[in-house]
Parts: sequence; structure tokens; C-alpha cells
Amino acid sequence: MTDTKNNDQPPILDVPLATEAIRQVRPDKPKGLVATALDNLQYVRGRGALEIGIIFFLLLVAFSVTSVVAGNQFPFLSQQNLSAVISQSIPVLALLGIAAGILMIAGEFDLSLGANLGFSAIVFIRVSESFGWGFGIPAAIASAMGIALINGLIVVLTRIPSFIATLGMGFFWTGASIFVNGTTAAILTEGKGKDATLVALFAGDYGFFRSQLVWLLIIGLLAWAFLHRHRRGNHIFAVGGNEAAAKAISINPVKVKLMAFAIFGALVGVVSILVAVRTSSMQPGTTGDFTLMAIAAAVVGGCSLNGGRGSVIGMIIGAALIQLVQNGLILGRAPGFYIQLFVGLIIVIAAIFNKLMEGKAS
Amino acid sequence: MTATPNDYLLRVENITKKYGANTVLRDVSFDIGKSEVVGLLGDNGAGKSTLVKILSGVVPMTSGGYYWDGAKQTAVNRTVTEQLGVETIFQDSALVPQMSISRNIFMGREITNKFGFMKVKQMDEIATEILDTVVTIEGIKSSRQLVASLSGGQAQAVAIARAVHFKSSLLILDEPTSALAVRATEALLSYLRQLKTEGISSVLVTHNLHHAYQVCDRHIVMNHGKKILDTRREDTSVEELTAAVVEGAVGLKRFRDGTF
Repeated sequence: MTDTKNNDQPPILDVPLATEAIRQVRPDKPKGLVATALDNLQYVRGRGALEIGIIFFLLLVAFSVTSVVAGNQFPFLSQQNLSAVISQSIPVLALLGIAAGILMIAGEFDLSLGANLGFSAIVFIRVSESFGWGFGIPAAIASAMGIALINGLIVVLTRIPSFIATLGMGFFWTGASIFVNGTTAAILTEGKGKDATLVALFAGDYGFFRSQLVWLLIIGLLAWAFLHRHRRGNHIFAVGGNEAAAKAISINPVKVKLMAFAIFGALVGVVSILVAVRTSSMQPGTTGDFTLMAIAAAVVGGCSLNGGRGSVIGMIIGAALIQLVQNGLILGRAPGFYIQLFVGLIIVIAAIFNKLMEGKAS
Repeated sequence: MTATPNDYLLRVENITKKYGANTVLRDVSFDIGKSEVVGLLGDNGAGKSTLVKILSGVVPMTSGGYYWDGAKQTAVNRTVTEQLGVETIFQDSALVPQMSISRNIFMGREITNKFGFMKVKQMDEIATEILDTVVTIEGIKSSRQLVASLSGGQAQAVAIARAVHFKSSLLILDEPTSALAVRATEALLSYLRQLKTEGISSVLVTHNLHHAYQVCDRHIVMNHGKKILDTRREDTSVEELTAAVVEGAVGLKRFRDGTF
């Protein structure tokens, strides 16, 4: 009735034809290599990871070239820098980015991430000091998963927006870590809670890389397989993208969201161990920054703030890009406030870019 | 009521639905025959949407009977109705726009190995096959294309293709034509007739009487939570349906008195 300009186009929907009839109209032509590559490229682009990957790659090339040309002023490729930045700070943020990203795809946020991380690190240190790190590791992961699941239950059962629920719980767990530990730092002492094996596993320095990078590779691969290849991961996308449609096809959104919170918690638990082992201490109330940095990594990596869109590779690249810019600014001896300035700017630009992409996603 | 088991596919008896003190549906009973296209008509607020949600098992009824092929269903939820073969295409909410066509088609029914990992390539191939054969949908390049990039008609068609592929026996379409261009609407309506010859019953929920009159074998008109008219196509006219939809039981009486 309203549409007259479409009248000379073929009908969008027609009565079905037999398969053979269609074969005659549209013969099967094998796709060439180029066509397949383009198809794959479009697929990556639709998930928001293509552009950010290109920017990351260009920046990496620029930094490397600068470092080769002027290694003294800009020692980007030095062993010390690669070991400290690329393989220490990037994995920690990337793992948190994956955690926050998976939850964002499910359509939820957890603003208590930093508080959860701090509390679980303290749990790890205190349990390890008393019973050895063999008990500390499961205790830390259980603590982080427990905190995340409590958040999940509050959000799912009361339908309070997760922003508010987890903001409140964030304050609670920051307070709780001071309540449990006092205002002084919890210390992981050599010989008691910490030994050479633990350090080798979670903070080992192997020249150009550290064990954190190995953890990122293993967990990144697992997260990819789960999110993009497992049916439960597919359900996370479905629920975050259109809860009503998922429900109509008998996917239970409550279960799926709780699962996303549990995975989030497990990842935060792993990171709490990585951080605690590297610094051998945890001062209560100092981990708040991780929350927004993790969400920023996910957003920069192409996760939609409305849920339903994102990719593990994007989350990793997002974290890597943020850390790379920080590293470049530090190496270039920029004043400290430049870092906040630039990181803040990247996040806002990435969010705007995501919004534009959502309009014409393909 | 006694019925021989095989003359209808779905029978509902005295369905009542209350939200607190508010009664949205009052003693609604009807049958849907095998290979029958039924139009469910009524103005906004007549209870159509609630009825559809009850039929598809998304919302539980307060009281009433649900009989499938002669067998009474004690618990009616989405898992049960999915097994029975009821597929509902809700207006605007059938598909996930951020997911590819292929992922949408297999959403919740993924082809997996025994560990639950999806056979993505196989899913993409079958989805392409579905797009090419079950419904011919023009202008779709690949089954990996995101649903967000499709037009309203194309998305609607993908949702129907999914229902047909999974061998639904009852297809419920909630306002399917409201977002479609004229041509796509015509194609959709003729497609419903086609489904009928394949033995699939469908319920077309709409407030566009002309669309309903064109394709439906039978019309059920709802008004304020009650069924006020249940008539075969041969026994009614667009005018009578209009009177019933617009002015309810009063309009129907006036139409029969000749004063409408």
C-alpha cells in the first residue's frame, strides 16, 4: 500500500519451487578463492573486529619501525619492553576483556569486576598462606565465580538493571575485602604461599614472553571455541541479541545469563591469581580501575553495548590496542595524564564507531 | 464436547487468562483443522496476542483445555509445543538481527557433535539449501549474512523457512504483513496457501481483514477477550467481518439486522 517504488523488483518471497527447478535457474557455481576470502572478510567485519584489527596492526608496524630506526629513544622492540608490556599487561587486560565481553554479549554488565578481582586475590593469598597454593587456586576461582553468580542471581531474579545491581555489589565487595583483610596489603610470602613452581606457572619470565601470554593463548582459544563454536555460546548471542526470539525457540534466558555470569567469574578468578602472583601482594580497594578498562577493551574490540554482538578475537585486540597506546605514550615519555586522555578518547571513538556499525551491519 | 480424534489438529476449550484481577481471555474455545488456514481477527486489545502466546506455550493459561490431535496436553509450555510442532513467528521478534541467517535458522536446534560443538559448515550449507528451496528468497547473497542486513520481507521469509524446515505442523503468524511491502505481502499470502497443500495448518493473526479474507478457510473474531464469531469463509463476507471487528457483538447483531 505504501510502497510503490519496489513494484518493478522481483517478489521477495515466492511459492517454493522444486530443488531441481532452482538448480536450472541458479546453477551451482563453485566459489573461487577470492570470493571465499571476501565472504570471510565480510563475516569478520559484521562482528566488528576487522577495522580495529587493521588499526592495531598499523600501530604495531609504526611502533616497530620507529623502534628499529630510533631504538634508543623508543625501545619498543627491546626484550624488556616486549616481556613487560606485550606479554604481561596485555594478557591480563585481554582476559578481563573476554570476561566482560562474554557478559556484554549476553546483554549484561558487571561493574563489580574490580572489587571481585581484589577480593578473590586476597582470598587466594590468604588461603595459599595457610594451606598452600594448591588450595588457593580453587578458592580464588570459587570466590570469583560465587561473587559473579550472586550478581547474576540478583539481576535475573529481580530484573534490576545489571548496572545498578553490580555497582552496588562492587562497593560491597570492596568493603568486604577491607573487612576481611584490614587496610594493609595481603602479602604472598616466599616459601609459605609462594614457591618457584607457582611463579613459573603464573608469572614466569621466559625472555621475550611471560607465562601470562601462554594463559591468554590457552584461554583465548577455549573462549573462542565455546563462544563461536559451541551451542551454548550460540545461545549467549541469541539471548543477548533478541531475548524474545530466543525464548520463543525454547532457549531459557535465565540459565544462559547465569552461565555467562559464571564464565565471567571464572575468568576474573584466573586473572586475580595472575595479578596476585606477579605482585605478591594485594592492597584492598586498589583494583577498581580494572572494571572500566575491561569494559573498554570489550567495546574497543567491537562488542555491542546492547548485547548480541562481539568476538573473542576482537576483545583480545581491543585490550592489546589500549595497552599498546599506553606503552607507546610511556616510551615516548609523554606526561602521565596523556595516557588517560588518549585511552579515554579511544574508548569514546570506538563506542561511536560501534554504534555506526550497528546501523549497517553485514 | 466430544470429537473424533482426527478431524482437528488443535482444539482449545474454555481458555481463560487472568493477569491479577484483569481477565484478558474469557472461555475461548475453537478448533484448528488439519491443513486449515485460520484467520484470528480483532481490534487492538481484543486478546489476540495473549491467545497466540498461550497457543504457542510461551504464556501459561489460567484455566482451560489444550487438545492436540485428540490428546489432552496437561502441561502446555514451550518445550511441549515445540515437540508438537507449533512454530510461532512473532512480529519483529522472530529472529536475532546480530546473528547470521544460518545461525538464526538453527538457533536452539544447532547441529552439533556429541560434545555440543556446532558443525558450522554443515549448518551453513543446509541453510543455503533451505534459502534456495524451501522458500525462494531473492537478494540474499549468503546464509552467513547477518539478519540485520535483510529487509522486513526477507527476514519474515527466513523465519517461515525455518518453521517449514523443522517440520512444523502448525504455523502461527503474528501480524506478518504489517511490516511488508505490497508485493511481499502477496507472496506471503500465496505462500500460506501453498503450505496448506503440504499439510501444514496455519493461524494468521492480523487486523487487516482483506489479507485474512483472501487466504483463510475460517475466521475467528475476538472482542474484549471473548470469541464473538467463528465462521467458515463461505458463510461470511468482508462486511460481516468488518462489523464484528470494529463494533464487536453489537456490530455483528446490527449487521445481521441490516442496520450496520
